[in-house]
Amino acid sequence: MNRKKDKGFESPRPYKLTHQVVCINNINFQRKSVIGYVELTVFPTVVNLNRIKLNSKQCRIYRVRVNDLEAPFIYNDPTLEVCHHESKQRNLNYFSSAYTAAVTAVDPDAGNGELCIKVPSELWKQGDEMKVLKVYIEFSLDQPKGGLHFVVPDVEGSMAERGAHVFSFGYQNSTRFWFPCVDSYSELCTWKLEFTVDASMVAVSCGDMLETVYTHDMRKKTFHYMLPIPTAAPNISLAVGPFEILVDPYMHEVTHFCLPQLLPLLKHTMSYLHEIFEFYEEILTCRYPYSCFKTVFVDEAYVQVSSYASMSIFSTNLLHSTMIIDQTPLTRRCLAQALAQQFFGCFISRMSWADEWVLKGISGYCYGLYLKKTFGVNEYRHWIKEEMDSITDYELKMGGVLLHPTFGGGKEKDNPTPHLHFSIKHPHTLSWEYYNMFQCKAHLVMRLIENRISMEFMLQVFNKLLSLASTASSQKYQSHMWSQMLVSTSSFLKSISNVSGKDIGPLIKQWVEQSGVVKFFGSFAFNRKRNVLELEIRQDYTSSGTQKYVGPIKVTVQELDGSFNHTLQIEENSLKHDIPCHSKSRRNKKKKIPLMNGEEVDMDLSAMDADSPLLWIRIDPDMSILRKVEFEQADFMWQYQLRYERDVVAQEESITALEKFPTPASRLALTDILEQDQCFYKVRMLACFCLAQIANSMMSTWTGPPAMKSLFTRMFCCKSCPNIVKTNNFINFQTYFLQKTMPVAMALLRDVQNLCPKDVLNFILDLIKYNDNRKNKFSDNYYRAELIDALCNSLTPAISISNEVRTVDNLNADVRLILEEITRFLNMEKLLPSYRNIITVSCLRAIRTLQKNGHIPSDPSLFKSYAEHGHFVDVRVAALEALVDYTRVDRSSEELQWLLTMVQNDPIHYVRHRILSMLGNNPPFTKAAESQLCTEALVDQLWKLMNSGTSHDWRLRCDAMNLYYTLFGLTRPSCLPLPELGLVLNLKEKKALLNPTIKPEQPVAAPELPAPMTFSAEEEHLVMDTPPIPVPPPSQALKRKLDTPLGSPPEPGQVLQDEPSIKIPMKGRFPTQEEEDIDMETVHDSQAFIYHHLNMLERPSTPGKEPPSVEQSLLSMPATPMPMPMPMPMPMPMFSKESSSSSKHGEHHHHHHHHHEHKKKKKKHKHKHKHKHKHDSKEKERDGHAFSNSPASGRSMRSPSLSD
Amino acid sequence: MADPAVMGSHTLNLGMRSATNKASTSPAENYYLARRRTLQVVVSSLLTECGYESAEKAAVESLTEMMQSYITEIGRCAKTYCEHTARSVPTLPDVVITLIEMGFNVDTLPVYAKRSQRMVITAPPVTNPPVIPKALIAGQKRTHPAHIPSHFPEFPDPHTYIKTPTFREPVSDYQVVREKAASQRRDVERALTRFMAKTGQTQSLFKDDVTAFPLIAARPSSIPYLNALLPSELELQALEETDSSEQDDQTDSENNPGNITNDDSGVDKENSGLTPGGVVPTVKASEENMIDNPYLRPVKKPKVRRKK
Repeated sequence: MNRKKDKGFESPRPYKLTHQVVCINNINFQRKSVIGYVELTVFPTVVNLNRIKLNSKQCRIYRVRVNDLEAPFIYNDPTLEVCHHESKQRNLNYFSSAYTAAVTAVDPDAGNGELCIKVPSELWKQGDEMKVLKVYIEFSLDQPKGGLHFVVPDVEGSMAERGAHVFSFGYQNSTRFWFPCVDSYSELCTWKLEFTVDASMVAVSCGDMLETVYTHDMRKKTFHYMLPIPTAAPNISLAVGPFEILVDPYMHEVTHFCLPQLLPLLKHTMSYLHEIFEFYEEILTCRYPYSCFKTVFVDEAYVQVSSYASMSIFSTNLLHSTMIIDQTPLTRRCLAQALAQQFFGCFISRMSWADEWVLKGISGYCYGLYLKKTFGVNEYRHWIKEEMDSITDYELKMGGVLLHPTFGGGKEKDNPTPHLHFSIKHPHTLSWEYYNMFQCKAHLVMRLIENRISMEFMLQVFNKLLSLASTASSQKYQSHMWSQMLVSTSSFLKSISNVSGKDIGPLIKQWVEQSGVVKFFGSFAFNRKRNVLELEIRQDYTSSGTQKYVGPIKVTVQELDGSFNHTLQIEENSLKHDIPCHSKSRRNKKKKIPLMNGEEVDMDLSAMDADSPLLWIRIDPDMSILRKVEFEQADFMWQYQLRYERDVVAQEESITALEKFPTPASRLALTDILEQDQCFYKVRMLACFCLAQIANSMMSTWTGPPAMKSLFTRMFCCKSCPNIVKTNNFINFQTYFLQKTMPVAMALLRDVQNLCPKDVLNFILDLIKYNDNRKNKFSDNYYRAELIDALCNSLTPAISISNEVRTVDNLNADVRLILEEITRFLNMEKLLPSYRNIITVSCLRAIRTLQKNGHIPSDPSLFKSYAEHGHFVDVRVAALEALVDYTRVDRSSEELQWLLTMVQNDPIHYVRHRILSMLGNNPPFTKAAESQLCTEALVDQLWKLMNSGTSHDWRLRCDAMNLYYTLFGLTRPSCLPLPELGLVLNLKEKKALLNPTIKPEQPVAAPELPAPMTFSAEEEHLVMDTPPIPVPPPSQALKRKLDTPLGSPPEPGQVLQDEPSIKIPMKGRFPTQEEEDIDMETVHDSQAFIYHHLNMLERPSTPGKEPPSVEQSLLSMPATPMPMPMPMPMPMPMFSKESSSSSKHGEHHHHHHHHHEHKKKKKKHKHKHKHKHKHDSKEKERDGHAFSNSPASGRSMRSPSLSD
Repeated sequence: MADPAVMGSHTLNLGMRSATNKASTSPAENYYLARRRTLQVVVSSLLTECGYESAEKAAVESLTEMMQSYITEIGRCAKTYCEHTARSVPTLPDVVITLIEMGFNVDTLPVYAKRSQRMVITAPPVTNPPVIPKALIAGQKRTHPAHIPSHFPEFPDPHTYIKTPTFREPVSDYQVVREKAASQRRDVERALTRFMAKTGQTQSLFKDDVTAFPLIAARPSSIPYLNALLPSELELQALEETDSSEQDDQTDSENNPGNITNDDSGVDKENSGLTPGGVVPTVKASEENMIDNPYLRPVKKPKVRRKK
């Protein structure tokens, strides 16, 4: 592992890479194969460098030479199969730790690699003289599953005519998938890249293209690239295809590439790229670091945007024509993101994974500045609020996101994120959602730093980093200089303190080194006598994902006399804050009221409390804390805030708050906002939905036409015939967005029967009928799609007579109309497809809604056909979403199988990823509930998927783990039979029984284990599980359990037995008794303990506080580095069993709770485990087996053998 | 009395018709012949009355001719008399005067008519009266204004004197236009999609009735992003209308890729083709030559001893 020190960078490797040649001689699209070689120029930094570890995955390596001498090598990739396939282990805790261990075992940041080359002994001496070694590796790739993606459409013609192309992709450092390298962001070197491709193709790669040369037969040409700027291997990429070439008309060193026929779109899409360039260069006062820039648009992209040194690969679906409105800002954002990452991420790389947040933070922050400049302050603040909401929601739901994890330093911090079911030690073990939130939090924290030190200083810091790096990059190889191009948390902080002279330590400690967000609850009272506002701000810092905030907080109070900022100090125990008011009660004379921005406005003050001068109050208006605020103020205050506060964030907050105040006054405030065209359009869009909700709450007292109808008519319909909408003219984008949104919101209106009012439905149908786009400069496809969404929103559950089969004849008349529209739209799409087939997407969603509401028979076959490969990806995802939903609602194992098969076989990585993440978000069942879908076969299938089926794609593997977690939890799935029933039950009844039975078994099990000495203790435990023992009736066991002092759920006997013996030593060893006691109560925990003890692992010091954290900490323990060459992944089989068994019974059985209870009630806890103890016991037994086979352990033994 | 009167008026009418319809259409001629035949029958019966057993055809014919002339003369004279007195329809006195004028003793007529041995002649077979093609009635005929006596001829059909529009006045009411446009488009779309659904594979939302709400089956495409990203032709058209200059600009340089893909075809062609076309974008070649971008530079030929 890579220790980060304040002084410079210490390479984890005994050598320094200075230059690498990558030469790909042949790319065969037919066979999807690649042949080539690499040559790494390496300077040993130790005497007697005898082994070189490199990264390489899925490459077939033919030969390795070091300085022209054949060198033996060993290739071992433990991530291919995380746990041995014969292992019966099925709990996620175990898997997660094994996986982390496997990833660590090949982690370049720890100096490891899959490929270990033995330097020929002839060269050893050279090490003394520190002479250069040239490592030459010939390799090939055949049908790569990761790293390189071949797109070969199945049509007639040559590969070029077919638009066949190939490009590199990956999540984080994944270059090892397509050529051997040091796949670390911290190992920089210069590059020479050569690609020989068909003469009809273009190879686009990093660096400057020197020349293109024909091969002798003139059928192929070789592209020569040189990248003189030291670059890390993960930032190298390649795209080959029959691309159309567009030289940017504004910047001739910038070249754009797209697939055949798309050039017109490319021209339009790229027409504003130069503005982004100019913007970044201006704010950073730094030239773009590379001498050229290339953008390539490819099909079936892994992610929308990926940045590499001097080039970016985008999804071709970002291209759009001039007629498309909605995609334009989205695409511009993607371009801006890509470009920001060119500076921070590609040019400036990072020292270690723990420093990733700096890069993501800076690039995200710069991107934010671009948003502010291009789309305006409103859009920017709206975006910040959105990001803040998503990070707070995520952390409060899933637990904290830690930007700068530190490992290994202090033992207490062994696992900084015990609440997660995956390790955050490596990027490759992170769940995708977590990683996205990580990026989100990173840029928000950058913004906090900006708030603290000012933007000017911030930009100076960036400039300093960049100029240091560019000075370093121009140097010839000098390892110390090149490390200036790597950013680390400490170097970044140092720059900040140098430039600004401010100490941002507390801020960093709070948001970077600590996870969690702040949750405020605010309320106030006005003290008339003292003319003081008594503000109470409470915090919730005990729930998961929260942290305690101490420090300043800004409160803005709008009074009659003006707006006043107050900075309060949040301290340990002070909840109440007295804020003196400036205004003396209410004045009689009518005078304009000054706002924060200096504007003075007339207000109708009749609504407010006559005694109070307060109009509204805002807590932390600048969003300078990562927080969620729940503030209570009167409805009229929210209404004033909505009408008169000019900050869009305040307006959005008040809209959200007004949902709880369905009164005519709220209605009026919202309607006024809707009509005010100076108001930010996204606020107005939000107001539409709020208004719909309020209208529904006010149903009985609502007067006049349905909400928004008259407004829409006034804004968008003809003067002479108000029932007919004007012909489309989308030249004003604000009104366009409003026009799109209003029908969607109106469709949410409901009458007393909880149906969508007839006139609203007719109104929407009329909008569809009279929609006329002939005179419009822009496409109306998004508008039409939203009208379908509106139809879909108007649907309510069908009144069903039980067991009635849905037929055409009993179709409701309104639904028939809706269905006719949908049918027509969907059919028209086949003839005149809309941009991104957005209308098909909406239709599919609507059809699923019709099915779900029981209007039409629920049937997955339509969606299946749309989900097939060969449809546009958005359509596929929509169809898959419907299928996922169908799977859940109908509990269809057939469809679940179908989906999982697609996860395994679909050629498009993005689709596979989406299926798993959608299944995770909308799971067919969860660990909390029982389902007939939860079968052993499914468990095995998913296990196999994450164990070995997804080894080519880090992201997919983590998706599979997420799904597994959602379905089964951390522990052994409850549906699995227990390997041996008897043992457990016996144990519960009597501990004494266990010992004798177990012991004889031990020898039997022992041979299985090839484990090293360190494991032996565990093995013993495990072994004990295996012996079959007569099974007592479950009911007995149940009772037994309740009575047992340990109160543990069914456990394998051996554990109990072990417990006492282990417990004692543990207590002695570990000062943190409380925890252990808790653990001891359940057998699982004890097992974990033992294991823990044996491995001398650390656990977080405070897991006991939070029930879930205990389990988590255990889980992640194995991930921690061990004294052994390879970390041993230690599962906690016992532990997991309990929760799995308990899961059947509902949440309260979750073992976290056990801990809790144990603490309090000690031995008296009474769980009603009515479930199958047998299963549990069997489970344990299995676990035991698996444990012994512990994959990582086995592997680790093997791989180090070489070095020994 | 009644019978001759009937006869008379009948013959009169016949005469008038023949006069007006002479040389006109063939049905009228048929009618004429039928009348002639009837007259022959009458003559023959009179001859029979008078006791003839038989008669030569020519004699009968002569007698018929005489009879016809006589009757025609009665009609003509009667008409003349009536017109003479400024009337348009002859009356009985007109006929009586005529007969007297022609030397017929009118008083004998009733006795003759009531003679006992009179033979009754069956009415000629009823033939369809010739269909007078109805004049096209367009619009309501105007009634006379108050100052014109009602006996004056009626106004002719309006179309003969009013302007007749050959097309419908376009409806200018905004609401109706929008309504029409909307429903028209909807009808077209529905018809089109129904047609597509009928002729191709479909998917259905209902199991009981697969024809209700047919959905055109989803068909995967090998390059899905093209359809999804490129504007449809319809949209492009609209765009061209609104802003044609920019569009032209874009389409111009689209030729670029073609050159690149052509390269595989021939090794020789490649070199010549690449330098001007493939690498340097075709349009604004002069301008872009100034741009020093490595991707625009020509591909070098391999050196003599190059390692690949």
